[in-house]
Amino acid sequence: MEANKLNRRKFIKITGLAGAMLAVGFDTLALGSSNSTFKKLMAEDLVNGTQLNPFVTISAEGEVTIMAHVPELGQGISQGIPAIIAEELGVSMDQVTIIKASASRQYGRQSIGGSRSVRSLFTPMRQLGASTKDVLVQAAANKWDIDPSACEVKEGVVYRKGTNDSLPYGELVADASKLELPKNPSLMDKKDFKIIGKATHRPDLAGKVNGSADYGIDAQTEGLLYATIERCPTLQGAVTSYDADAAKAVKGVVEVMEVTRTVYGKKNTGIAVIAENYYAATEGRKKLNVQWDNAEFKNISTESMNADMIKLAQGEGMKHFEKGDFESNQGKKGIDGSVKVKSVGYSLPHMAHSCMEPMNATVHVREDNTVEVWAPSQSPQVQRQFAKELGIPDNEAEDKIKVHLPYLGGGFGRRSMNDSLEECFQISKSMRKPIKLIWSREDDTLQGPFRQISHHRMTMSFNSGDRIGMQHKMVSPAITTQGRPSNGRVPFEVMEAINTHYDFDDFSVRYAEYKNQIPIHWWRSVFGSTNAFPHESFIDEIALELKKDPLQFRKEKLKSEPRFVKVLERLEKESNWNEKLGANEGKGVAIVESFGSIVAHAVFLKRENGKVTIPKVVSVVDCGIYVNSDQVIAQTEGNIIFGLTAALKDAITFKDGAAQQANFDSYRMLRINEAPRDIQVHLIDNDEAPGGVGEPGLPPIAPALTNAVFNLTGNRIRTLPFDLQDI
Amino acid sequence: MATYKLNINSKEYTIEAEPQTPLLWAIRDEAGLTGTKYGCGIAQCGACTVHLNGNPVRSCSLPVSAIVGQEITTIEGLSDDNSHPVQKAWLEVQAPQCGYCQSGQIMSASALLDKNPKPSDEDIDQAMAGNICRCGTYHRIRKAIHVASKEISDGSK
Repeated sequence: MEANKLNRRKFIKITGLAGAMLAVGFDTLALGSSNSTFKKLMAEDLVNGTQLNPFVTISAEGEVTIMAHVPELGQGISQGIPAIIAEELGVSMDQVTIIKASASRQYGRQSIGGSRSVRSLFTPMRQLGASTKDVLVQAAANKWDIDPSACEVKEGVVYRKGTNDSLPYGELVADASKLELPKNPSLMDKKDFKIIGKATHRPDLAGKVNGSADYGIDAQTEGLLYATIERCPTLQGAVTSYDADAAKAVKGVVEVMEVTRTVYGKKNTGIAVIAENYYAATEGRKKLNVQWDNAEFKNISTESMNADMIKLAQGEGMKHFEKGDFESNQGKKGIDGSVKVKSVGYSLPHMAHSCMEPMNATVHVREDNTVEVWAPSQSPQVQRQFAKELGIPDNEAEDKIKVHLPYLGGGFGRRSMNDSLEECFQISKSMRKPIKLIWSREDDTLQGPFRQISHHRMTMSFNSGDRIGMQHKMVSPAITTQGRPSNGRVPFEVMEAINTHYDFDDFSVRYAEYKNQIPIHWWRSVFGSTNAFPHESFIDEIALELKKDPLQFRKEKLKSEPRFVKVLERLEKESNWNEKLGANEGKGVAIVESFGSIVAHAVFLKRENGKVTIPKVVSVVDCGIYVNSDQVIAQTEGNIIFGLTAALKDAITFKDGAAQQANFDSYRMLRINEAPRDIQVHLIDNDEAPGGVGEPGLPPIAPALTNAVFNLTGNRIRTLPFDLQDI
Repeated sequence: MATYKLNINSKEYTIEAEPQTPLLWAIRDEAGLTGTKYGCGIAQCGACTVHLNGNPVRSCSLPVSAIVGQEITTIEGLSDDNSHPVQKAWLEVQAPQCGYCQSGQIMSASALLDKNPKPSDEDIDQAMAGNICRCGTYHRIRKAIHVASKEISDGSK
């Protein structure tokens, strides 16, 4: 214990208190000799005081440490979850040191995705904070020999109501640790929240402005070797030959070996080059001259995929939502004999995730079968899987396999697949040396898995009797049914962001599954990123056919859904929607519910000196109760940029079975000079249950943009991406 | 292999490397300064931006052999305590999200402000267009540069 204490003090002196959460992975040699099994300090070793539960530790001096156990990839969750605990614990954030946890079973599930963290943890973490407070209060009540109800808590101090008697948490923690945490603690009234709902600074940002934040790619350990892997350009295909000797002839290269990468059940072989430094590994890789047997995948092209999907869209499709009877009523004439039917196709391409930190992993499988892992992962609890591979009994997995959880340089869904950890583990297991595997940017872009491709057949029918019908027929591969036959049901993930609340007389939503060989994976807002564009564009098409203002039309057709109406009304006001625009200006609106939240954007365009820009985006977000208002705004700003990149930059296209875009020169990202200068995000305050925040801002941005393009030019964009200078 | 003496953050590092080794990997893996990031390897994303004699350069595309004798500043050399006006402004507006690109963003921004303490939005566009942020923090980066600019200008009055 003494060693830990000294180390912690030394550490805090170096990095400052706020930097304490950055520590993991840097202080390699602080503990133990080179002979000890575990040289590395784990995050938990930095904690000082008496632990009341895996999340909360309080020192005798009253310092409160809260473990941030959810992977931090930019969404601010390393501040968000501890803030929820601190609120109910009755301490201020100034009193709290947040330490980024390791991946470990003691924290429960640590996987993230689906904008789920606050949604799923809001109540359990409040209960945890409240029950922790309860044992501290009980300890005080015992000392005073009174009932706990005669006590109150302010900023980590228990007071005896109506007196000046007080006991700080630090003096109570030893006694409190002997008490059992109550199972059903009473929770605070929302109106009494002091932390939740406020804009709070994130402690992790201190290390993100000075280079000290530890990402997976920064892992350092003694004797580290570096690996790079050559994989099949058509993603699947068998290795027929490669020149290991030529690679080994490069100075610094120490090993060449085959490794397997599993993608949705398919095992693909790559050739790893392991060297003393990363540059040598990449030079060795150039000499491999790998030959592949992949003729069967060479016919795959984006063109053929689109043709296949258009054909599938002519079929009936599986029913997802049916109201009225679209099929019988489409084309039915009104009283005066008039009817209009319009049917159009929309298409969206494959996309890469392009996390700024390319995929990587660091693993050390030692001779004694103990393991140390740096897992830059959205699903970092790899102990069980690795234990199985090493024949370690499950009940020893946590002791023998230690997993650091570094910061993630972006995730966007990509890091929920642990393929880089799988590859790195194999290399280290074979060599029994610490290995850092780094995917190049080209590997990262070319190898997928990708955001799904999709095609949408949109049909409207309306007659003079005001009978409106709409059908959205969606064709795409599904994520959860890859590698197995379709079971004839609509997979749960594919209908995200299709708004069936629109009050049309006939409304039909169908899905046709398109099986093909390109692996797809969760990509920020997933099917919301593909469905909302055709859906909300087509709502605009209907509104304009009916000569209605697109925003007013949405309000009218969503009037049975008060949360949607409130968002639209707020957007109308904040964006000055009804103000007349100049001749060279355009505006577009879209509203989408996804991941439990409703977001509407108004996009404004301007044509000046022949150049089209996006000067302004106004957003309104209803995500129910939120933890950190500034992070909701930040995530929405980010979603706007992420969605604009997808709408305006490059697709991943396939030719002869291989992706054609490899790096940021051909797979371009939106840059600061193209980004809207004015982004305004407004939050709706209500008492609804927390909704998602990391993704819901993305789906409405593309249709709001293309609706604005139509408003400016009269051109309807039905295929993404498109060039804003070519409208 | 050859031996090179690199001057990074006013400290001399002696490293062993092949002449063509990108400066980025020398900084990260030989000097152990991991704040400078790998993003693309082809000078497209700016995550690896460092100052070379005060100018922003992409360290992924400079061979280590070409750098000898020149002054390199990395994100770690900007200040000891997050006190550089750009770092302070970045924290004030809470600019980073995942943070991975931010070392490069900050190095580009600080180089801009060194030469042009009162940049216009167009100046910012030009100086920062080489730095990609996938999280989409451009809006806050712009704001932070204006905040830093104000502090620098106020401080020099």
